[in-house]
Amino acid sequence: MTQLIKAKNGEITENMRYVAEQEGVSPEYIREMVALGQIVILGNKTRKNVKPCGIGKGLSTKVNANIGNSPDCGSFEDELIKLVTAEKAGAHAFMELSSGANIDEFRRQALAATELPVGTVTIYQAGVESIEKYGSIVNMDVEYMFELIERHAKDGVDFMAVHAALNMDVMERLKRQGRVTDIVSRGGSFLTGWMLHNNKENPYYEQFDRILEIAKKYDVVLSIGDAIRPGCLADSLDRAQMQGLILVGELVQRALEAGVQVMVEGPGHVPSDQIPATVLLQKQLCHKVPYYMLGNLVTDIAPGYDHITAAIGAHIAAAAGADFICYVTPAEHLRLPNAEDVHEGVIATRLACHAADIVKKVPGAWEWDLKMAKARKALDWKQQIALAIDPERAAKIRAERNDSDSEACSMCGGHCAMKIVSHYLGTTVNNC
Amino acid sequence: MTQIKQARLGNVTPEMSEVAKQEGVDEAVIMQGVAQGTIVIPANVKRPHKNIGIGKGLTTKVSASIGTARGSNAYEAELEKLACAIQAGAHTIMDLSIGGDLDFTRREIISRCNRPIGTLPIYQTFTEITDKSNALDLTEEDFFKVMEKQAQDGVDFMGLHCAMTLKTLEVAKIQGRLHDVVSWGGSLLAGWMLYHGKENPLYTNFDRILDIAQRYDITVSLADGLRPGCIFDSLDRPQVQEMIFLGELVDRAREAEVQIQIKGPGHAPISHLETTVKLMKQVCKEAPYFIFGPVVSDIAPGYDHITAAIGAAISASKGVDFICYVTPAEHVGFPSIEDVRTGVVTSLLAAHIGDLEKGHKKAWDWELAMDKARNPWDEATQKQIALDPTKLCASSNMEGSYQCTKCGAKCAKKVLAEYFSKPISYC
Repeated sequence: MTQLIKAKNGEITENMRYVAEQEGVSPEYIREMVALGQIVILGNKTRKNVKPCGIGKGLSTKVNANIGNSPDCGSFEDELIKLVTAEKAGAHAFMELSSGANIDEFRRQALAATELPVGTVTIYQAGVESIEKYGSIVNMDVEYMFELIERHAKDGVDFMAVHAALNMDVMERLKRQGRVTDIVSRGGSFLTGWMLHNNKENPYYEQFDRILEIAKKYDVVLSIGDAIRPGCLADSLDRAQMQGLILVGELVQRALEAGVQVMVEGPGHVPSDQIPATVLLQKQLCHKVPYYMLGNLVTDIAPGYDHITAAIGAHIAAAAGADFICYVTPAEHLRLPNAEDVHEGVIATRLACHAADIVKKVPGAWEWDLKMAKARKALDWKQQIALAIDPERAAKIRAERNDSDSEACSMCGGHCAMKIVSHYLGTTVNNC
Repeated sequence: MTQIKQARLGNVTPEMSEVAKQEGVDEAVIMQGVAQGTIVIPANVKRPHKNIGIGKGLTTKVSASIGTARGSNAYEAELEKLACAIQAGAHTIMDLSIGGDLDFTRREIISRCNRPIGTLPIYQTFTEITDKSNALDLTEEDFFKVMEKQAQDGVDFMGLHCAMTLKTLEVAKIQGRLHDVVSWGGSLLAGWMLYHGKENPLYTNFDRILDIAQRYDITVSLADGLRPGCIFDSLDRPQVQEMIFLGELVDRAREAEVQIQIKGPGHAPISHLETTVKLMKQVCKEAPYFIFGPVVSDIAPGYDHITAAIGAAISASKGVDFICYVTPAEHVGFPSIEDVRTGVVTSLLAAHIGDLEKGHKKAWDWELAMDKARNPWDEATQKQIALDPTKLCASSNMEGSYQCTKCGAKCAKKVLAEYFSKPISYC
């Protein structure tokens, strides 16, 4: 039985209790929201080492980090280092997106190496192996596509992106729309190629019930992927995207009816004024299930700085109601990220989400800022560093330009405003 | 030749000049807007009248609907409402008659109306068919006969439910709405489609519609059969599905050089308004948006001119171009002449509030004139420029009510006036 079915039956599970404690809300609230589909709890039933993670309404916004090799680069060792780096930086979940060699082996290693929930995109493996075996993606074997979903589930994968919301009807709308970047989702492009070449409907869409059955058996959270998400600002909120989202909504409805936990994966490139509308539409058309957003990048002209353009978009999206944000690293649109990129990406996304949690009134978010403000007023450096989102970075920068025991920081030196005002108001001051 | 075709050829028509002058913008701006389809000028080639422009960069316009009720032939009352709506300041009139001699009533209305007139040809088609037999007996020819006849009479814009496809109805069924189809024409048409298992003839014959529209320069006003009928159904899948088809038809109309605008909502919570407008503008590539209300709450029958004005003001401020009025009689009964007047004035008010947010200079100048006329107190100017001067003129106690006798020489207002070196404004 899935968490959703248990919640509907009125049962408060161990996972629900754990999430409630993590989030500072009542277990009954978690149960109620899981039953409605507005909160999902990541945690495959067969995976022993996973710490369950709650995502959805009223909970803190979660951050996902992607790892995985590509056919061109990335050894297992490199990817495992990235995993450790992301976990240390505070990521809440991973997606293992390997598309190079030995995908099965690396997935199992990753699942063993972390206690955080792990997600996959099985179509990547299906596509890559099809090229190896049959020379082309268009020869992808349908039975094998479903076999892979089962294999990943059995291995303990906690959430899976499935590109089921792509069918001939969506393709027709796309054709009539005339987009700038057509399809930018990798999984979406694999399937499109297969569908057009074989002139057949998307198997994930046609046999969605099979996916539901597997997800139910292992309590895998489905992340209905938006194969048709916009690949640039100009394509945002167009007819093809909306047709895809309508189909996502219908599949969400079926998943909820089947007792399968489900969330929706959304955009990547959105002008900032369209972000609240994008989030509201997802919530409206998809029964208010959690929204997992990629970025969003709010401009397309800043390669090398996309962790920042994405953090701006992530903040607006999360404040508008997005629940789960996939990080973007400085390497986006340029190359496979290295460990340092991963660190930058996780921190940038986390701070964007935290700033949104303040607006969402998530328990604890405001208090964190208040503590920092008090530590600054008190010129309590030890405390400031400890409270920093990236304590190592804060400590390192401070050490570079200050004497270790200096009262003030080198920004203002003796003209420290905190110090001067405290002197006149007669309040105490520690160190600056 | 249609206005859009002329504009694309680089010609500034007399209609465009008239609109440019009215709006206080450059003729080239109007021409460009018409060419791109972001502005429409409903002007049937058969009938000259006062022209108005609707769309991007222009002030928000208001339409008033009149028309006989089913089974009634009381067209004189509708002619009175027409005069009242025009006098109150409605920019366009829609004749939605479904009772009596429809051709006669429409021609009477057209002959007395010096501004653009809109109709829903499917209303007359279904009225005449149900008079004889059954809505399910509709044929394509019945519809096109009516459309052509109305075009010949000089109708300037026509509401057409072209985007309500079988796919849209299927999406509505899966969704499970509270109010399935609330548009009158839309519901009869949907019934016909489902009974016969046939695609919407207004969709399959869209080229024929474009052909008629092209010949008379009728502005196609695509109606949304699946518009939400209550705030719970707002921004659901069928509404968005229809919007996708609406957008595709916009592309086709523009290709055929036919002017086109999109009709929208009716019921939507405030939090949905910005998204509704933004989505429509994206999906329909900035075609002018003609919006019914929307009422932002469903619990106030008798006050829906107010719930609608709130929705209209916010929608207009977010980019809606054209507002269909809602009267206090909405969801209650058939509107009286007083309801029509109230509906027009409240919608004009909402449109003006929208124009303030859109940053129209004319709107701000109007505000400034009124604010200046209040300090120092200038009753004559106030009466002259008030949205509804009758309210000021009717106020019998206005004269003298601002003359103060209470404080005598120790007048706080007087002290204040001296401080700011301004003439005294009375309490």
